[in-house]
Amino acid sequence: MTSPAARVGPIPTESGPASGAPPRELADVSVMIGGQGGDGTLTVTDLLARYFRKRGLYVYASRNVLSRIRGGHADASVRGCRDPVSAVKNQVDVIVAFDQQAIEIGQHELAPHGFILYDSTTFHSDLPNSAGFPFATLVGGPLGQPIFKNTAAYGALSVLFGFDPAMTRGVIEDRFRRRSPEALEKNLKALEIGRKAALEAPGVPDRYAVASGDAHDVILTTGNQAVALGFVVGGGRFFAGYPITPATEIMEYLQRYLPAFDGVVRQAEDELAAINMVIGAAYAGARAMTSTSGPGLSLMTEGIGHAGTAEIPVVVADCQRVGPSTGQPTRHEQSDLSHLANLGHGEYPRFLVAPADPHDAFEITIQALNLAERWRVPVILLLDQALCQNTTTSPRFDLSKALVDRGKRLTAETAGALAQYKVYEFTDDGVSPFAPPGTPGLWSEVTGNEHDEWGHVSVNPANRLKMMEKRMEKMVRARDELPASRCFGPADAKVGFVGYGSTSGPILEAQAVLASRGIPSRYLQARTVYPVPTHEIGPFLDRVDRAYVVENNYTGQFARLLRETMPERHGKLRSIRRYDGYTFRAVDIVSNVEGAA
Amino acid sequence: MTPTVSAKPVPPIWCPGCGDFSVLAAVKKAAANLKIATHDLVLVGGIGCSGSIHNFLEVNGIHALHGRLLAQAVGVKLANPQLTVVAAGGDGDGYAIGMGHFIHAFKKNASILYLVMNNETYGLTKGQASPTSQLGYEGNVEPPFHSILTALSIPAPNFIARTFSGDPKSMTAILEEALRFNRAGRGFAFVEDLSPCVTYNDTYKLWREKIVDVATLPGYDPADRKTMFRLCLEQVEAGRLPVGVMHRPRETTRDGLEVKLVGERLGPVRTDIRIEPNLAAYEKLLASAT
Repeated sequence: MTSPAARVGPIPTESGPASGAPPRELADVSVMIGGQGGDGTLTVTDLLARYFRKRGLYVYASRNVLSRIRGGHADASVRGCRDPVSAVKNQVDVIVAFDQQAIEIGQHELAPHGFILYDSTTFHSDLPNSAGFPFATLVGGPLGQPIFKNTAAYGALSVLFGFDPAMTRGVIEDRFRRRSPEALEKNLKALEIGRKAALEAPGVPDRYAVASGDAHDVILTTGNQAVALGFVVGGGRFFAGYPITPATEIMEYLQRYLPAFDGVVRQAEDELAAINMVIGAAYAGARAMTSTSGPGLSLMTEGIGHAGTAEIPVVVADCQRVGPSTGQPTRHEQSDLSHLANLGHGEYPRFLVAPADPHDAFEITIQALNLAERWRVPVILLLDQALCQNTTTSPRFDLSKALVDRGKRLTAETAGALAQYKVYEFTDDGVSPFAPPGTPGLWSEVTGNEHDEWGHVSVNPANRLKMMEKRMEKMVRARDELPASRCFGPADAKVGFVGYGSTSGPILEAQAVLASRGIPSRYLQARTVYPVPTHEIGPFLDRVDRAYVVENNYTGQFARLLRETMPERHGKLRSIRRYDGYTFRAVDIVSNVEGAA
Repeated sequence: MTPTVSAKPVPPIWCPGCGDFSVLAAVKKAAANLKIATHDLVLVGGIGCSGSIHNFLEVNGIHALHGRLLAQAVGVKLANPQLTVVAAGGDGDGYAIGMGHFIHAFKKNASILYLVMNNETYGLTKGQASPTSQLGYEGNVEPPFHSILTALSIPAPNFIARTFSGDPKSMTAILEEALRFNRAGRGFAFVEDLSPCVTYNDTYKLWREKIVDVATLPGYDPADRKTMFRLCLEQVEAGRLPVGVMHRPRETTRDGLEVKLVGERLGPVRTDIRIEPNLAAYEKLLASAT
């Protein structure tokens, strides 16, 4: 059993540079911003992310909020890096604290060269390498409201980091121009107040110099937005859902995007209704999806099983969070896999596909819609909180590769040419051609009862055997059409990693760290998780001495699934797990690799 | 060209004399009278004896999950508003396990017909008490649920009616009106049929004595929700069974749901989802969204 990653680190003791000392160059910078809900920490995060983007840096921003509307401590971190990153940095370079808790939480992760900027309106810190500014008071007088303290803090940060003043201002203009002229003017004033205060503080101006990069042809997005966009482009035209963190944004994006394409988005009375509305819509011929998280998934389990046996093509996005029950709604975990692999009572086929990042999520969402119709099987988009909600730079989504494949869907012409139409006809690949209601001259009877080819209820044992085999063998027959795994690192490496979803970011970063220590490694990113792609993972395991399965749960669900499906290779498998609600950092993975410490 | 052969109806599984036979005949007759093409009619059945009704007709059918037929029926209608959609199930399905969806169906106001065959018992599982069972039936200690009173309490422009399997002629007329209401896009129609279970709760004689046609009551005005609620409540409290049209909204506006979301077009099921015809719009969406 691997213990969860330790979250202790040195308290900074290194003294800062004297005034006039050369700035410390940072090609990879991480800032943690914390305060009470309503302090505007997310605004500071967003402003920093925008600045890093203007400088051509890759960005990864994560948030750590409480499940409440206002109040309570919340923090966020934003990272800017010259190289592509999809993980939280091992250490924090700068903390921006609007409350004392931000320092208490953040100082353990602060780098030895790190620095703390805090709002000294309500508290004082004796820590070395810190500077307090009464931001709320400074802006409260001239601007009438203390809420602009966040923009003032961004101004102070820009001085600390030696940001280009015009570009710093440009970020404010970009963000507030569309609000109102008054909002823009006040924020520009707050920016100057923060800058002026910082310029006068010893040890603050140009303490660091943040590098610029060449990541210009990229977008800033989240997994949830990527799924919503992939759904539209993949021909998705019906969505029903019930609000639940961290999945809700998929519904909210689709409420904005779908009407222009004659699509329908409905907020249902509960998850039972959501999945069943999706089933009805899919039966009626629309490409349909719902999204949810653990508690909602439990309720939808009934409907997904119905879709599985009635062979209705639905897509369900599961944004995994800490469970069971209400768990930790805003925190990250990958603990639904075992449930999903065995989803529901009885047996039916299902495909679990798992993107690693937004670009992947866009592609795989389109593929999921195709697979659902092509195979008449429920497809689960296996997501996780970090992938869904963290903001990251991503290559632009590629429309040239997008494809809509409706499989054996009948049209009025092809259906009309049939002598007979059996909705569950036995065929070579187990997939029966389907004609949605409204197709002239024929009709479809579907049912969750076991049925014969016509869709009539049947208790005939011979028919039961054939129907079970028809459905279950889809999981074997579809193998080569499911999203293929991707491998990273030298093919002859002896250390292996296996993972899926957002753990990819920290694994890739850990590989770079290991390589720099003379340990080459190879990583297999599973993009289909169930049915387990043993044809890909098996040969991969054969080439390494040992493989670490990296995942965010207590029991090592993915590792167990691999052991169960490839028992002959179980000796190769190791397990690295974290289940405290946080994502892995590269250091958490490196420190668990034998011989790498 | 020879017509394509689709699923043929199977013989009903119901006991001889079951009230559901009247419903089957009335649905068939109403659909025929309105000349609804078989391929444009979708019957969504629940779980229970009544929920197998679609197996006995030439029709598109979904045998849904217990209690979830309304959600599936709304999904069908939203995806293709051109279809005529009838959800048909029992009192246990609708008022127990499906109660959440029942209440929300009035709010959603999708233009579908929900037909509940109420026999005041769980027949298929051999006679347990249902939400509408009388006190004392199979040890029932809970007062019966009155769907019409609940339906009338939700302020939405729905069509609400109640029929009796012992009077198939009135039932056919009411189902026809309900389907016309749906097909005009005016919203949700709810019809409860009092359908005796001859095996576990044979109430033909009792119900025939207690039936009161609301249209005969002084002050009857199906456009006036307040009056209708009072009239029905008085009958219920007097131990009688009100039947007839309980709410016929005066307003003739179309239901908000499909029209608002789909416009005057045919709906998502008919739209072209190939990449090519949508490419320019997709490029625009991606550029503005990210």
